[in-house]
Amino acid sequence: MLTLLAKILKVLNSEASPWQIGWAIALGLFIGILPFGLLSLLIVLIVCLLTVNLSTFIVVWGLTEGLMLLFADPLERLTWQYAQNEQLLQLLANTETLQLLHLHHTLTLGAFLLGALLLLPVAWLAKVLVLQYRSRIMTSVQKWKIMQMLKASKLYALYEKMN
Amino acid sequence: MIIRKSGWLVFIVFFAALLALVYLLAGPAIRIGMVYSLEKAVGSEVNINKVGLELAPLALRINQLQITDAANPTHNSISFGHARASLELWPALLGYYVIDELTVDGLQYGAKRNEPGKVYRQPGTDGEKVDLAQLLQVDLPDADTLIARANLQTPAKAEALKQLAQDEQQQLQNLKSQLPSKDSLAQYQQQIKALTDSKITNAADLAAKAEQLQQLKDALNAEKAKVEQIKQQLSQSKTALQQAVNELKAASKADYANVQQLANLTEGGLAGISQILLGDLWAERISQLQSLYLLAKPYLPEQLPQASSSAAPEPVLPNRILPLPSQPYPDFWVKTARVNWLIGGGEATIALKDITAQHQLINSATRFTLDVKQLPQLAAFNLSGDFAILEQMVTNLNWQLEGLNLQPLSLGQGDTALDLAAGLLSSSGKLNLTNNQISQSANLVLNAANFNSSGNKYLQQLAGLLNQQQQIPLNISASGLISAPEVSIRSSLDKLLGDALLGEAKQKVAAYQSQLQAKLDSQLQTGLAGQQDWAAMLSQQDGEVADVSASIENMLNAKLADVKDQAKDKLKDKLLNKLGDG
Repeated sequence: MLTLLAKILKVLNSEASPWQIGWAIALGLFIGILPFGLLSLLIVLIVCLLTVNLSTFIVVWGLTEGLMLLFADPLERLTWQYAQNEQLLQLLANTETLQLLHLHHTLTLGAFLLGALLLLPVAWLAKVLVLQYRSRIMTSVQKWKIMQMLKASKLYALYEKMN
Repeated sequence: MIIRKSGWLVFIVFFAALLALVYLLAGPAIRIGMVYSLEKAVGSEVNINKVGLELAPLALRINQLQITDAANPTHNSISFGHARASLELWPALLGYYVIDELTVDGLQYGAKRNEPGKVYRQPGTDGEKVDLAQLLQVDLPDADTLIARANLQTPAKAEALKQLAQDEQQQLQNLKSQLPSKDSLAQYQQQIKALTDSKITNAADLAAKAEQLQQLKDALNAEKAKVEQIKQQLSQSKTALQQAVNELKAASKADYANVQQLANLTEGGLAGISQILLGDLWAERISQLQSLYLLAKPYLPEQLPQASSSAAPEPVLPNRILPLPSQPYPDFWVKTARVNWLIGGGEATIALKDITAQHQLINSATRFTLDVKQLPQLAAFNLSGDFAILEQMVTNLNWQLEGLNLQPLSLGQGDTALDLAAGLLSSSGKLNLTNNQISQSANLVLNAANFNSSGNKYLQQLAGLLNQQQQIPLNISASGLISAPEVSIRSSLDKLLGDALLGEAKQKVAAYQSQLQAKLDSQLQTGLAGQQDWAAMLSQQDGEVADVSASIENMLNAKLADVKDQAKDKLKDKLLNKLGDG
């Protein structure tokens, strides 16, 4: 848990741009709520190709997967209830690509729609929060003991070097 | 944000690592998942030796699966040596499980385990498998049980009659005290005599005596009315008692018919001995087929009529496929399956085709056949059937079993034990299950049966009778709701067996009938004969009162006439005296 917090703080305090962190959070959330499949691989590809902050993405992915243990069931039921639309079902039946992405599965469809809906607002909000953090809180956090310890560690030095 | 130059490389490394991970870990992961979910479902230890994944063609292989029998942990309920399922790739990418070929080798029921398995949950009574030995293991009903089963109405009606007779008698006793006694009638007569014998001196005296006589007459009339009322009450009482007696007679007759029916006394046998012995048991066994229906229920289309609105939550698959108007493949579809079954000291092969729950998509029903010949304990067994969920869920099953060598088994316990030392069982039949409605008919023939019994003389007699038979045939049919089917079991031996087995019951019934008749007679005697005495006495009293009343009337009229004559004579004398003086 402490390592996780340190990781987050490290990213927040690093030179990574707020947009990189914002998109990492939004895409991490997106992939986290999706059941693993072709769509997840596509998101991983996007993350690999764009300079999205990787460690933030992985941390948020892991956290969201954990949360989905609680929310998968209600989301599945909700999607089953609202997806009984003739036009939607017809579209899914006629488009093999959508089936390849498993969008004819309740949980995948529900998670995809929810993720797509949240993607932009979450990215923007995360960016704003990172900016706010850096301008207001960062200096005091830098003085925390944990940060001092972190900066003294070899891992941090390695990280700095890589960046 | 800009493009990461090494992005493709990172992705390829990630993807390759993922594939390697899946290849290496999928087998153990599936194994752990299967063991966990199977143990949760059956409540006992499940062992799987190895699960392997083959990539080209995509296939899953399971080695040595054993599911411990929770009721008998030293044995497995089901086990098999190898199973292999080859999956079609493209449907799998679309999320449909289309299995081209499924093979199961060395399937066994009830095989002995190397060491006893753990039991996590004791098995309930539901869902236990059909066991022929247990099926035939029944306690034969004795005479008292049969009489108890008949639910006799007579004792209750007899009790009611007794109560009614007592009540009526009490009422009549009360009324009796209100009747005019002989003394009071004699007093009335005396009073009238005194009045009529006395001389009338003048007109005022006449008027006073006439008044007194009228009062006496009124009093007598009131007594007469009382007698009338009692007579009426008696008549009502008679009717009520007669009705109760009729009811008692009807109940007795109905009871007798009922007991006759149960004991198969009537010609043709309304209910056979086999029905009494096996009826409830067969219904119970048939209802176990409901587990088949419940197993298929989560996959049934929503529009199909559901069996019951049970409170238990319906199981929901974690990521269901939406009901697409034209789905390319069923959610799961096993095109062909071959199961090698180790049975009765030999092998049998079950061939299945098109296993799915969405038969309308493949336009074909699931078909299965099982053909076994020349096993050490079985001459031949053929089972075939089909199963389809279309507008309704329909299952058809036909079977033909020949020469099943029955192992020695014991039916019943203690005094009612009947041992079957040897026998050959043959059976043929068919079964249709439409949603939760069952229709089944079967013929069972037991050949060369050798029974013996050291129990009571009736069972010894029964064993002797059965041993004399070349064949013991049973016709079993069941229909109705699968959870509570109506079962009819007939045998051409019913009459014979019924007479032998229920001899004691028949004697008891006869004894009960005569006892009942005696009781009935005594009830009638106390209830009705007593009433006749009352009626005679009341008639007599009524007559007496009427006589008294009539004689009063006469006396009264005579006296009045007499008084008038006396008055006339007095007037005459007065006139004659006046004329003489003049």
